[in-house]
Amino acid sequence: MALDPTLKAEIEEFLLHEAELLDERRFEEWIELFAEDARYEAPMRVTRARDAGPDIVEESKIFSDNRETLYIRVQRLGTEFAWAEDPPSRTRHFITNIRVQPTDKENEFRVRCNLLVYRNRGDAPSYDLLSADRQDILRRVDGGWKIAYRRIVLDQSTVGSHNLSIFL
Amino acid sequence: MQVLKGRRQPSPEIRSMLEAMVDMVPQGRVPVRIFNDPEVFELEQERVFGRCWVFLAHESEIPSPGDYLLRYIANNSIIVVRHEEGQVRAHLNMCRHRGNQVCKAEMGNASHFRCSYHGWTYKNTGELIGVPYWNEIYHKRLDKSQWGLVPVRVESYQGLIFGNLDPEAPSLEEYLGGFQWYLDFYLRPGPNGTEVYGTPDKWVADTDWKICAENFAGDGYHTPVAHAFGFELGYFPSSARTHFEGVAVHIPGKGHAIGLGRTPGMPPFFGFPAEVVEAMHQTLTPEQVQVFSQVRTAVCTVFPNLSILLQPFSRIPGQPGVRFVTMRLWHPIGPGRIQMWSWCIVPRDAPQWYKDESYLAYTLAFGAAGMFEQDDFENWTNLTRQVKSTLARDLVFPYEIGLDLEPDPTFPRPGVAVPPYVHETNFRNLWTTWARYMLRD
Repeated sequence: MALDPTLKAEIEEFLLHEAELLDERRFEEWIELFAEDARYEAPMRVTRARDAGPDIVEESKIFSDNRETLYIRVQRLGTEFAWAEDPPSRTRHFITNIRVQPTDKENEFRVRCNLLVYRNRGDAPSYDLLSADRQDILRRVDGGWKIAYRRIVLDQSTVGSHNLSIFL
Repeated sequence: MQVLKGRRQPSPEIRSMLEAMVDMVPQGRVPVRIFNDPEVFELEQERVFGRCWVFLAHESEIPSPGDYLLRYIANNSIIVVRHEEGQVRAHLNMCRHRGNQVCKAEMGNASHFRCSYHGWTYKNTGELIGVPYWNEIYHKRLDKSQWGLVPVRVESYQGLIFGNLDPEAPSLEEYLGGFQWYLDFYLRPGPNGTEVYGTPDKWVADTDWKICAENFAGDGYHTPVAHAFGFELGYFPSSARTHFEGVAVHIPGKGHAIGLGRTPGMPPFFGFPAEVVEAMHQTLTPEQVQVFSQVRTAVCTVFPNLSILLQPFSRIPGQPGVRFVTMRLWHPIGPGRIQMWSWCIVPRDAPQWYKDESYLAYTLAFGAAGMFEQDDFENWTNLTRQVKSTLARDLVFPYEIGLDLEPDPTFPRPGVAVPPYVHETNFRNLWTTWARYMLRD
């Protein structure tokens, strides 16, 4: 079944809007994009020999959040004591290679993209680049979209950042 | 085989700083310079990491024959492998012919390792078994028994495998010097000990391993400020007012140290499931039960760079929650730079729901994206940048907290136990021990 091109355009628009909320640190608005039953996960990568099975360890996660703990992370950033983000990181989320596929559920779509996040802190000219395969399930709700599931698979087995106090 | 010879000598400047530390640290002064300095880094690669028992792996990471991991001691890549008879061995990950890395995966299962350069092949015991053209060009004259992978000493305690580059070093048992009594709280929560949950978090940070090791040697002082958000969101079963209560214990001359934080009125073994509490009564001595049942936070450093934290935590503030245990290795990869390995370990005999919940608590609090971890690394990386400045390097830090405190003579076990939880007695022992290692030729 060919996807309606306007649907893909709508989903792209949604992802770009979401990235803008993150880069502008509008986290209270960002969290509203997640469904009540949403999961937000980032499994770990490892370095294995080519024929020794998958390099993703499903039981080990850098993020393993539900909507409630994700909101606690947002609340934390709203306190005066979230030192890791004060002064805040400058982030830029680049989203490309968007692919949309239907699922068994009529109102849910599997949306995969390539994610590149630039992160810079303070006066240092140096920066972190985090590249990932991001896999979402987006759900159409009341004419809008909600993220029902997000999985971020980083392209590093050793994360090249001193912490992950940002969202991906 | 002699692996390490103390080749590097300190400059007169660094030597006099280290000599001064022996008297100065017990009186509450530590030179700023030790925390980010290229010469200190190079010297400690040999004199600290070349002589101490350095953590390599948890036995549950390599449960089956042939299972291997790549880990490090100083800048040496080490293959840790369980060989066919079940024993754990460690070897330098370097082909003896021209030095290529013989193992390139960080984990896996193999009966042998074959170098991809000229094809020398080693059994997972380290023995050289294959040399291409051994007949034709070596004319069978190369003595293969002399050219196995360089072995590294390994010993273990309650599932923790340590390696040592120094053939002359004392045994692990002697090295731990009674600290085992405290490690049991983390490692003997039941007859079958602990296991790691999944694979460790790994990341890099521009900080010095010593900052991190000191923090986990019992820095209860930073918690109410560095992790103030936790109090703000209602995460802590202790309030900032009672936070300093408890005891700090160190092993003199060994560097190992633990902080045991207590919360008045906390139920015994709060946050552990009934099955684990029952199992702990079987494995721990009555003295250990008496001490540990009252402990909220147990945070320790095994000298030099292995730390363990046990903490009650509920993902949603105010709920009963669970305990999680994180074990972390602050592996130095340059002056003021580390690679982190961070594991979550769980009681092997605990019910699966508890292991899962314990891991989720660890991930939210202390994984690479953990809410508490984030703020520590923010502080530690900024600190590390400051201390290398030309003005900073000639200064000293005050390590005065608790200089006038007396040990508790009634405390049941090894080491020097000084109440309360928050003071710097452990750190003075840590840096005196470090200075003594650094001065030894």
